[in-house]
Amino acid sequence: MASRVLARPPAFRSVGRSLLLTLPIALWSLLMFTPSFREPGRDRHIGSLAVILFMTTLFFLMMRTGKTYQWRRWFFVALGLLFPVGFIASLVAVRGTMSIPVERMVSGDTPFCYMVIPMLFIPAALARTIIFPGSILPTANNPHSIAIMIGIWLAMTLVVGKGWCSYVCFFGGIEEGFAAIPKRARIGRSVRKLDPRLRLVPWAILLFVVVLSAALFEPVYCMWLCPFKTVTEYPAVHSVETALQMGIFITLFAGLVIVLPFLTKKRTQCAYFCPFGAFQSIFNKINLFEIRFDREKCVDCTLCQTACPIMALSAESIREGKTLMNCMKCGACVDSCKKSAAVWHLKGTKVALKPERARLLFLYGAWAMATMFGGSILANSIATMLHWLPVK
Amino acid sequence: MRARIIAVLAYAAAGLTLAIAVLVPFVLMGTFARAVAHAGLHVDASYSGGTVARTFTRSGHQIVVYEPVRPHALQRVDPFVQIVFRPAASLPAHVSEDIDLDGDGQADVRVSFTVPADRRARPAGEVVALNGKYQSFRMPGSYSFSKLMVQSGDAVLVRVPLNSSAGLVR
Repeated sequence: MASRVLARPPAFRSVGRSLLLTLPIALWSLLMFTPSFREPGRDRHIGSLAVILFMTTLFFLMMRTGKTYQWRRWFFVALGLLFPVGFIASLVAVRGTMSIPVERMVSGDTPFCYMVIPMLFIPAALARTIIFPGSILPTANNPHSIAIMIGIWLAMTLVVGKGWCSYVCFFGGIEEGFAAIPKRARIGRSVRKLDPRLRLVPWAILLFVVVLSAALFEPVYCMWLCPFKTVTEYPAVHSVETALQMGIFITLFAGLVIVLPFLTKKRTQCAYFCPFGAFQSIFNKINLFEIRFDREKCVDCTLCQTACPIMALSAESIREGKTLMNCMKCGACVDSCKKSAAVWHLKGTKVALKPERARLLFLYGAWAMATMFGGSILANSIATMLHWLPVK
Repeated sequence: MRARIIAVLAYAAAGLTLAIAVLVPFVLMGTFARAVAHAGLHVDASYSGGTVARTFTRSGHQIVVYEPVRPHALQRVDPFVQIVFRPAASLPAHVSEDIDLDGDGQADVRVSFTVPADRRARPAGEVVALNGKYQSFRMPGSYSFSKLMVQSGDAVLVRVPLNSSAGLVR
């Protein structure tokens, strides 16, 4: 009996079959990072090689164990931790400070951030104006131009929908990192008992910032509410207004991204604040992949609800066999379900008929995107760290 | 039968999604970016300075005068005119120019500044309004998007605020 309890659970797939399924991702990773080996710089080569191995190994483990969330989380937390390191280091190297001097803003050198996208639509539609201090096309000083970044966002959103929040968004990775630190949630139960209407807060913030940005012709969320300005770049503090902005950024970051995720083991900023996450939820409606519940197997144990990092499940939604609209397809509920009732699903097919096929189809697209976008950030950050740290 | 057709279509669409994922870095990202770039969009004039009105050529450098920028009703930026002196490397150590901003043949402002050797440093200088349409200011001092004197790339960029009481000029 004891040996049965202690025995490792049976592997989901054989090593050979798992390797075979991992082969496309290994080749994709090589394809993505081979060009960097042609460039000079040992640091860059090491970074690229590390990312190829990292992403391929994690995908192999997903195939071998049948688990998604736990391996995806390794990538996502690494992305969340390393992105600010690389970004801040490059800012300090170029500008000597994390703040954006007004010179950079008026010369169009501000790197574009996808969080601003929902705020761009109304001014772009009505006045053909982009209310962000970047450049439309790439320049020598600003390769991350508005057109390029919107192109990346559009393509990735078509592939993963709100999966953006668990495979692409480095800001979410920071939060997931803090949520992963404690073994148990200190106030997890209280969070699950919160009024479900609180899930509408990100929608309210989205509406607020979109309307106000269109009225003021400035990206209101970026200027006043973005917690991640604390670890990226912010307007130089030169007045009471900019000092107040900085105070808000730091307070929101400390509360929503560090303290609450640590206490609840949930991504509280994503669940209760992020307007971009709410915006991405819209694309879940057109994305082909989703999580569903096989009602014949479900025993209403609510393990999935406990596992969900962004409270995208309610008792009602589970009874209906669905997630809520804000599901980010991280796979936590599927991994936690002991009855295999939570399943990956391709819209238009019968629920729970071929869940692994649906998972594979989603994961190939999502992991390819994650390798291309997040992987490049990881490789750059590793190269930057190797360049700056005295490890040679 | 209907369910089967829908399922086949779903798998075909999933295959298409995978194809999009594969094509993104090679074709689609550029295509989407070009589509955005060709949508006729422009960065808001409070950041970009707006469109060029006229250029004055001096020995070794140019003075580019922009159209006045008129913010929208609720925009928290005052009206201004942008002037760019470029290339910064060819500017004399001290610049003092009377500039016609509205194209009426009369100088509107006198812009004077010292070009710093450090490209990150801000020039020290002043703008003196020669009529009531523009505001005078001195740098270093408080700055905003409509009142600036900075080095930007290989240029010195000056933004002269318009007097709201004087009305806007073309």
